[in-house]
Amino acid sequence: MKRIADWWFAPAPAERLAAVRIIVGTFALAWVLIRIREGYAVAQLPAENFRPTGVVLLLEAPLPPDLALAISIATAVLLGAFVVGFRFRVLAPLAAVALLWTLTYRNSWGMIFHTENLLVLHVIALACAPAADAFAIDRRPAQPAAIGYGWVLKLMVALTVVTYVLAGIAKLRIAGMDWIDGEQLRNQIAVDNLRKALLGDSIAPLATQFLDHPSEFTVFSIMTLVLEFGSPIALVGPRLGRLWALAAWGFHLGVVLLMNIWFLYPLCGVAYVALLRAERPFSWAIGRYRRWRGMLGT
Amino acid sequence: MNRVAAAVVSIALLAATASPVLRKPWEDGFPLSPYAMFAFRRPTKLTMDYPLGLTASGQRRYLSPWIIGSTEVLQALQVIARAKAARTLPALCTTIAGRVAVLDEYRDVVSITIVTGTHDAVDFLVRDQLGTEQQRARCEVKR
Repeated sequence: MKRIADWWFAPAPAERLAAVRIIVGTFALAWVLIRIREGYAVAQLPAENFRPTGVVLLLEAPLPPDLALAISIATAVLLGAFVVGFRFRVLAPLAAVALLWTLTYRNSWGMIFHTENLLVLHVIALACAPAADAFAIDRRPAQPAAIGYGWVLKLMVALTVVTYVLAGIAKLRIAGMDWIDGEQLRNQIAVDNLRKALLGDSIAPLATQFLDHPSEFTVFSIMTLVLEFGSPIALVGPRLGRLWALAAWGFHLGVVLLMNIWFLYPLCGVAYVALLRAERPFSWAIGRYRRWRGMLGT
Repeated sequence: MNRVAAAVVSIALLAATASPVLRKPWEDGFPLSPYAMFAFRRPTKLTMDYPLGLTASGQRRYLSPWIIGSTEVLQALQVIARAKAARTLPALCTTIAGRVAVLDEYRDVVSITIVTGTHDAVDFLVRDQLGTEQQRARCEVKR
């Protein structure tokens, strides 16, 4: 037990967690802002399209579209405070709850997307932690957090790992080992691209080249399952973690090329930032700024 | 926060995230999902409802999903499916025609038709072979 606790609570610098807060928070803020217009349009769909999920199950009918829009704007404001580390202990949990509500509401209109789940989970994890003890508007605490900052980063990686393992389990639960033969993956890709074509959306750039050769999908299927069930190696050590993250990023790039589905959170690398020395670019930029100010002073 | 509180937070979040494994894989949710979206067995033949723009010479134009009601393809599909179930496809057709009427990129489109089409995905995408289509609603684009 002690060994597990020592591993889970292994120290990490406050600056690393703070940098992860800024990067993940900025992504969430940008995501909410970019989606505001579309979210408002979806909120105006007829009520029969409303299919509440998650926390939105509290509602029996859709909100007035203007109220949904106001909540989205409030979410963006709270995420702004989250990013700059302003009144973090109070506002960060509110930002996490607001993000959970806003994105769940958007997913409550007949189709659940899977591109935002991990983002919400990561923001909740950060909001529960002392993630604004550095690089923040809030004054730096006199003492660093007694339990350190590494556990939150490990929690974020573990949450990522769980989502990938779940995806692997679902494939084996539904299709069994047949999923490996490649035909199911080929058919998924074909049908997804057909739907896009019939609805005037762009089809994936490599889809048509591969669809006529089903045997090649066996390789893709095996690689997918290896990546998903192999994800726990990201928890073993930083080097293995980064290697796995690189492979997972490549997997999502493959999804773009074959299905034109953009999981932007992992594609931008933000989903894996807890595995990196995220504080380095910030420390470098701050060092440069201080040197520049020092030069101006002299 | 002490170690016990941090451990409780960690275990609670991880347990919640893993909890969909206890549900049926097709019982999806947000943000707690079993991530079964690519796990289901599918034939390559697909039947679905979709709108088409028709030009004066009878050429077909596929319409962007946002014209139907959402920028997301799957959400747009749901809009059509619900309209079909509620027998309001003619009204949806008119709404789509109204949106198309003000778009320069569709200036050659003179009418909208909502069809139920059945296509083989590989034949359609690789060999440009259309399947069958049955018209469900039709309306003019008034400019």
